[in-house]
Amino acid sequence: MSEAGVITGIETRAEDALATPWNVVVHNDPVNLMSYVTMVFQRVLGFPRDRATRHMLEVHHKGRSLVWSGERERAEAVVEQLHGYLLLATIEQADY
Amino acid sequence: MRFHRAASGSWELRGLHPLFASLLAELPKVASRHRKAQARLYPDPTGSEGEAQLRNDWKEHVRPGLERLFSSSRETVARDLSALVPNGPGASLVIPAAHLDAWLNALSQARLIIVEENGFTESDLDHRERPDLATRRGLSLLKVHFYAHLQELLVEAAG
Repeated sequence: MSEAGVITGIETRAEDALATPWNVVVHNDPVNLMSYVTMVFQRVLGFPRDRATRHMLEVHHKGRSLVWSGERERAEAVVEQLHGYLLLATIEQADY
Repeated sequence: MRFHRAASGSWELRGLHPLFASLLAELPKVASRHRKAQARLYPDPTGSEGEAQLRNDWKEHVRPGLERLFSSSRETVARDLSALVPNGPGASLVIPAAHLDAWLNALSQARLIIVEENGFTESDLDHRERPDLATRRGLSLLKVHFYAHLQELLVEAAG
């Protein structure tokens, strides 16, 4: 990562490209401010403010929120960017 | 303390009490104390036990970029703070608009580090009790709250 706002991502194994979708999950932490988390969701995920606020509140009240779903390489890039903003984020394989 | 946008487009903190000016001056140093907060600053990208390869890739390819980003943010903040006079009456500080992201990042680093170092819980952070300023822990909690206040102002400024 060279700067916040640019998704670069790491190389992804070829077999993953056709696998089931991957989720990006943001986890609650008591430190990051609600306004800050909302701002990050708007920036990184392109959410409008009301959707960003909804996900932020889900993180706050339920401990986690699924904020993005899709192919693995892109999911890793989203997590990388969220880590750049010091948010707790992980990828999980979608559960079908 | 007043926070406003100058005609130049920069953001200015004015009338900083010497105590808060000194807390601000400490920001880059606090934010560089990564040792005890490694796991929080560089969290695993997955909770799955079976993703050892991803963890290794992450450590090798992603973490160095994060370290550079965090370090660059601290350096930007340190440069801005070099114009701050910590003990002068009514100290002021100029934050160029282009530096807002670096400030947000450095403040997050510092707050996470202080919380990890002191083992503060959600209950400690929710303002229900006033920090005991006679103790090192109380001063650390005050610092977390002050940095949070500044971060709120900057989030608003970032729009």
